[in-house]
Amino acid sequence: MIASRNLGFVAAAATLLAAAPLSSIFERWTWLIQAAIAVAVVAGAAALARLLRAPLWAQALSMLAGLSLALTWLFPAGGELVGILPTPTTLAHFGELLQGSVQDMRSYGVKVPDTTPLLFITVLGVGGVAVLVDVLAVGLRRPALAGLPMLAIYSVPVAVYVDSVPALPFVVGACGYLWLLVTDNVERVRRFGRRFTGEGRDVDVWEASPLAAAGRRLAVVGVALAVALPLAVPGMTGGLLNQFTSAGDGAGNGRFGQGGGPGRIDLFAALSGQLNQSEVAEMVKVTTTEASPFYLRFGVADELRPDGFRVRPPTGTRVDRELPGITDRRGAGQQRYRATVEVSRNLDMPLVPVYTDPVEVEGLNANWLYDRNLGVVFSNRDNSRGKRYTVEYVRSTFTPAALRRAPSLPAEHPIAVQQTRRPSVQQVDVLVSRLLEGKRNDYDKVRAIYDYFSRENGFSYSLSTKGGTSGQEIVDFLDNKVGFCQQYAAAMAWLVRAAGIPARVAFGFTNGASTGNGSYVMTNRNLHAWTEVYFDGMGWVPFDPTPAYAVQGAARSAWAPDSDAPDPEPSGTAAPGATPEEPGATAGPQQPDAVDRDVDETFDPATGAPIQRAPTWPWWTAGAVLALAALLCVPALRRMALRRRRHLPVAPAVPTGSAEAAGPPATGMVVLGADRDRARADAHAAWDELLDTLVDYRVRVDRTETPRATAERLVRESLTEDGTSATAVRLLGRAEERARYARNPLTGEPLRPALASVRDALAARADRRTRLLAVALPPSVLLRWRSAVTERSTRLVTTTGRLRLRMARWSPRRLLARRA
Amino acid sequence: MTQQTWDEVGGLLPHDEFRTASDAIVTNIEQVIEGKTATVRLALAVLLAEGHLLIEDVPGVGKTKLAKALARSIDCSVRRIQFTPDLLPSDVTGVSVYNQETHDFEFRPGAVFANLVVGDEINRASPKTQSALLECMEERQVTVDGVTYQLQTPFMVIATQNPIEMEGTYPLPEAQRDRFTARIAMGYPGPQAELAMLDGHGATDPLQELRAVSDAETVRRLIATVRQVHVADAVKQYAVDLVTATRESPELRLGASPRSTLQLLRTARAVAALEGRDYVLPDDLQALAVPVLAHRVIPTADAQLARRTTDAIIAELVHRLALPQERQRPTYDTPRSAAGTIRPPFEPRRP
Repeated sequence: MIASRNLGFVAAAATLLAAAPLSSIFERWTWLIQAAIAVAVVAGAAALARLLRAPLWAQALSMLAGLSLALTWLFPAGGELVGILPTPTTLAHFGELLQGSVQDMRSYGVKVPDTTPLLFITVLGVGGVAVLVDVLAVGLRRPALAGLPMLAIYSVPVAVYVDSVPALPFVVGACGYLWLLVTDNVERVRRFGRRFTGEGRDVDVWEASPLAAAGRRLAVVGVALAVALPLAVPGMTGGLLNQFTSAGDGAGNGRFGQGGGPGRIDLFAALSGQLNQSEVAEMVKVTTTEASPFYLRFGVADELRPDGFRVRPPTGTRVDRELPGITDRRGAGQQRYRATVEVSRNLDMPLVPVYTDPVEVEGLNANWLYDRNLGVVFSNRDNSRGKRYTVEYVRSTFTPAALRRAPSLPAEHPIAVQQTRRPSVQQVDVLVSRLLEGKRNDYDKVRAIYDYFSRENGFSYSLSTKGGTSGQEIVDFLDNKVGFCQQYAAAMAWLVRAAGIPARVAFGFTNGASTGNGSYVMTNRNLHAWTEVYFDGMGWVPFDPTPAYAVQGAARSAWAPDSDAPDPEPSGTAAPGATPEEPGATAGPQQPDAVDRDVDETFDPATGAPIQRAPTWPWWTAGAVLALAALLCVPALRRMALRRRRHLPVAPAVPTGSAEAAGPPATGMVVLGADRDRARADAHAAWDELLDTLVDYRVRVDRTETPRATAERLVRESLTEDGTSATAVRLLGRAEERARYARNPLTGEPLRPALASVRDALAARADRRTRLLAVALPPSVLLRWRSAVTERSTRLVTTTGRLRLRMARWSPRRLLARRA
Repeated sequence: MTQQTWDEVGGLLPHDEFRTASDAIVTNIEQVIEGKTATVRLALAVLLAEGHLLIEDVPGVGKTKLAKALARSIDCSVRRIQFTPDLLPSDVTGVSVYNQETHDFEFRPGAVFANLVVGDEINRASPKTQSALLECMEERQVTVDGVTYQLQTPFMVIATQNPIEMEGTYPLPEAQRDRFTARIAMGYPGPQAELAMLDGHGATDPLQELRAVSDAETVRRLIATVRQVHVADAVKQYAVDLVTATRESPELRLGASPRSTLQLLRTARAVAALEGRDYVLPDDLQALAVPVLAHRVIPTADAQLARRTTDAIIAELVHRLALPQERQRPTYDTPRSAAGTIRPPFEPRRP
């Protein structure tokens, strides 16, 4: 009784420990207190039921009752009896809480605040797990099974965090589980009274139990399997996340996707990593009704910290409902278009790319939310891999005149407050004040900054610069004037903010390569960043300061013309996708003397499409097949080598000839020692070859038989109808027998022809499969290898066993024996 | 422990003469015992191996006849003892009697003072009398009244006994059984042999017409030749393995003695020589294992209950035992660690 009470206590504690991973979800620790209360009540109810010697079902019922009491006390609806007895109103309240928890789960990203519905569902879950663990571990005495409900708790943070989950809480939970297992086993051993070793002999207390060794072996195998299996199963590794993380070579100080959630991605690091990838992977395919679309966009970094632009956690409403309309775009031409986006499996993010200002999204479920301010579609638990959806969006086009008319944003406007915040860098401020001289309205100011990033001012494009958007790095960029989209976009946003105008950095894809009919294919090379500037009454207006010649699929607009173009007149919307029939025009003006040499070679300047590399998998397949064939040939080759080696030391014909035919002692024969040894070796080689041949042809080989008996059995069973082969096998037997046991071996006998005739006779009797196997995969060689492996492992085990026995002499556990 | 052998054996016989001499003896005996070539050759092999023979079979199959035929084929002294319950040891070994003329005790040699001693129905004598044979069979000498008398060379005891009839018999003690090199069973003759026997033995006793074809001197030279037969190390190892297997067999309470190893190899030499070989084969040992070993071992009670004869147990051991591979050692044959054996017996202990 005491023992089971103890076990029940451990079960409750283990449940609480197993709930540790939940700490990574909640902001505060309220849930833990409430869950502890619930678990304690459950454990107390179980102990009480056991004290009354109630059957198992009664124990379970009492635990459930205790759980409901605890829940009622913790989450009262008002109007309970004595404060803890649930009433129908309580149950209705619980139902509301459940529904509310579903709602909360959708709307909050991690870490969640302490809302009552979430706390309720947490306490309910932990309490339920406590009941299950108690029933399994104490009632049924199957504590190993109790790991399943504990694992269920752990799966919650795994489901919430898209990519990685902090490991430490899981360790805590695993410790609880191990504690439960150990307690149960100690209990069991105590009841048994003596350590069972499995060998039958008594084992001293200080000695390690052989069963423990078996357990260790099982554990090693299990761990190896657990590590190796995910490597072997395709699709479990190699997602974009891994590519993002592995390729972001120090470009950002935040690892992509660290901690999960769409608000924690270092999009800058991911961007530079992807642009530097040597392999081209298709990421998005989009078909739109718009003739010349602007960039597809999926993320925004609008929080400028001393270490650069950072992504804020987005908040929003469900994307499968009505989206908020476009209201703040006065004076802009607006038109609705429809686009179908297919995300390939290479893009794995908690964000999906959409065009600016979506008004309706189809094909995404309720997991996806739309942040109106940032204009991004994100999810807290889903990812974009393989998604296909349709976006209805409004394309706003602006004219420079309309933008000039836009008034400056009042300084106390929340957007102005937030989106102009920046660390003060004196060099930047000097530059901005120089650029803004004489500019009166916001648009002119922005254009002045925008135009500053031109070739005239010495800016050029290079992917090989070091990434980063912190103040110092921006200053470096402005000094060196070499960089790629990340630095251009960040620098412009910084400068515009310095000018007092709200600006942020947007991430997305350029228009990539057009495949006609309004379809575009975007690869990781088309990942891009640009600047968005806020104009009062116009909303966020995109500017792309990156040199267009270096960006495949770049688009320029009327209000932000290409600053490098020779024609100062804005080229309007003559951007890449304008003429889908001429995909060659999409890359913008290609200048032979382009400074930039770092644009990746895999871009075909003529078509703008990534060059199709010859696929490598046929080579790999052919290589693998060849390797396999070579591997399969090894036994046959080994067999051939063996045969050749055995045939090699043929004794020279002894001039005395057939001195001994039937085996009488060679009285008159003088045989030199060397000849005798050679004859002996010959006989042995021939006999070994015969035995191997027997194994190859699946004829039984008996280690208890003498050569003579073997030969007789062969004649009797395998070679009956063949007279010559019978004589031959008898000759071989006699030669081996005399080589082994007699003073003088047989010499000058035709052993090789005898072997050949025996082999032919055996082959003639064997069926086709045996014959084929004897040539291709000789069983004799395989058998020898197998026995060699067995021998090695046996020797290893023996050696380690002996070593362990010797080591056990100094085992400190020996001291235990004295105490016992 | 080791068996005494005669020192005064003759010179070697060339191969052809050996074959002629041995074949002559075999052929001669076969005039009397038809269709039992293997048994006859085995009996001769035991003689050439300087051993003693125990013939065990039901009455009337020719045990005594074989013994007498072997004795008659060789021109040497032959004595026959009919073992009866009232036979005394002194009847076997000899006794000192007082000679009044010389006023001295005079030794009257017993029946064992011959080259061939045929002991009929040996298990009918009392153990006291049976024990009289112990010294003479092993050490080839007789000690009476403190005086030791050497026996003649060659010396061979051929004893017969009836295994079926138990009443009034005294089973041979282990020590006595161990002194017999081989135990052979006659077995019933085949139908043809029995027909031939009816024809041949109908009128006269063929034993009467049997002439000696050899003499003690020839036998001594035969024995000397047998001693020269080559035994390879592998064969010796195999003999040791065989004997060890009987000691380790779970079905046997008592395994074979080291003396049996010696006699096994010696008999194998003789058999090999009789077959015209100058080297011993494991085949010889396999063929001899049952006759040489089976009568020395004692089965466990379980095996007896299961009606397993020692012959069957030994035959199975031979079938199971692998030949020693002189070129590669078997892998599993690792020396047993001493730690496993010196542990105290099982003793429960609290954890």
